[in-house]
Amino acid sequence: MKIRKLVYVLLILIATGLLAFLPVEDKPADRLDIGDKAPLADVEVTDVSGEKLTLAEVADENGLLVNFSCNTCPWVKAWEDRYNPIANLAEKNDIGVIMLNPNAAIRDDGESMQDMQARAKSSNYDFYYALDEKAKLAEAFGATRTPDIFLFNNDMELVYTGAIDDNAKSAQDVDQQFLKNAIQNLVAGKEINPQTTKALGCTIKWPK
Amino acid sequence: MLNMRKYKHIVPFWPFVVLLAFGFVNESIGQGLQDEELLKDVSANDIQEVISSYKGDKAVLINVWATWCAPCIEEFPHIVELQQKYEDDLHVVFVSADFPKQREKALEFLRAQNVDWPTYFKTGKDQPFIEALSDDWSGALPFTKILNNDGAVVASWEQGAGYEKFERFTKKAINN
Repeated sequence: MKIRKLVYVLLILIATGLLAFLPVEDKPADRLDIGDKAPLADVEVTDVSGEKLTLAEVADENGLLVNFSCNTCPWVKAWEDRYNPIANLAEKNDIGVIMLNPNAAIRDDGESMQDMQARAKSSNYDFYYALDEKAKLAEAFGATRTPDIFLFNNDMELVYTGAIDDNAKSAQDVDQQFLKNAIQNLVAGKEINPQTTKALGCTIKWPK
Repeated sequence: MLNMRKYKHIVPFWPFVVLLAFGFVNESIGQGLQDEELLKDVSANDIQEVISSYKGDKAVLINVWATWCAPCIEEFPHIVELQQKYEDDLHVVFVSADFPKQREKALEFLRAQNVDWPTYFKTGKDQPFIEALSDDWSGALPFTKILNNDGAVVASWEQGAGYEKFERFTKKAINN
């Protein structure tokens, strides 16, 4: 009996020792997978107009487009000329559009509701721009950067996530219009390919 | 013809003269890097080669940064300090992800930070570049990845970090 106990203890010690050799990866929060339902769809957020909204309310007949964005990121600025055309395309195809600002750590440094209102006005945003006050939605989605796109179908299941297209710097030099294609294929009932993409962006400034 | 007699009075000081001259040359190797050496264009394929060239020789810390990225600028001096402290065992590979029109600004920043070894400037599409560096990187900046001498990943993370975190994983990479 004593030997068996000793073997167990030894095995536990060896396993613990081996753990120390595993690489440490500070992975981003678990990102929604394709097919996952939109989380926190009934949580209220406040739009720059003062209106209270939920994702479920913003969603339209064919789905919902969520963009985690902000006021202070150069990549947002680089892609911003595509924000209104994409939103118009989505809304024309009965897909609701909302942009959420998750940068909770720097609300006093360019990411307050007042800053958002000013940005929505100066950039003529044609869609909801709401405060993800404590970044709870960003966390639940597993968003990591701005801009970061999540497109859902009419069952609120994720069908595309990632980048708007493959060229932040120049709309004229885009080779692959990931999001535009995803919207058109979603509405046409066709396969969306690719379903996930990656692009550089600013880290979300999580609450401390 | 050079009259050596004329300079015989400095003969006892020659070793110092030579050392002084060597010092100048040595200094110029670091501070005098040409712009294209200090910040080289790099593609997704090239960056793999750069990183693997240190395999078996030194631990490698890869840091992707940009001039406008506040957490990148905040953590940058810590990484420079780390490179100076562990110069025999660690090689830092800085990769600027600035837009091309900010290249000059990136160079100015590198010089202001006393970076005196070659660094890199990302070219090409984002996705292949992100995938070339790590499957676990979503694309958010800053990004850091630390490899041991064998090229195995010791740690990688998005978001900024303090000196202690960089040093802790660097030591782990060196001692692995």
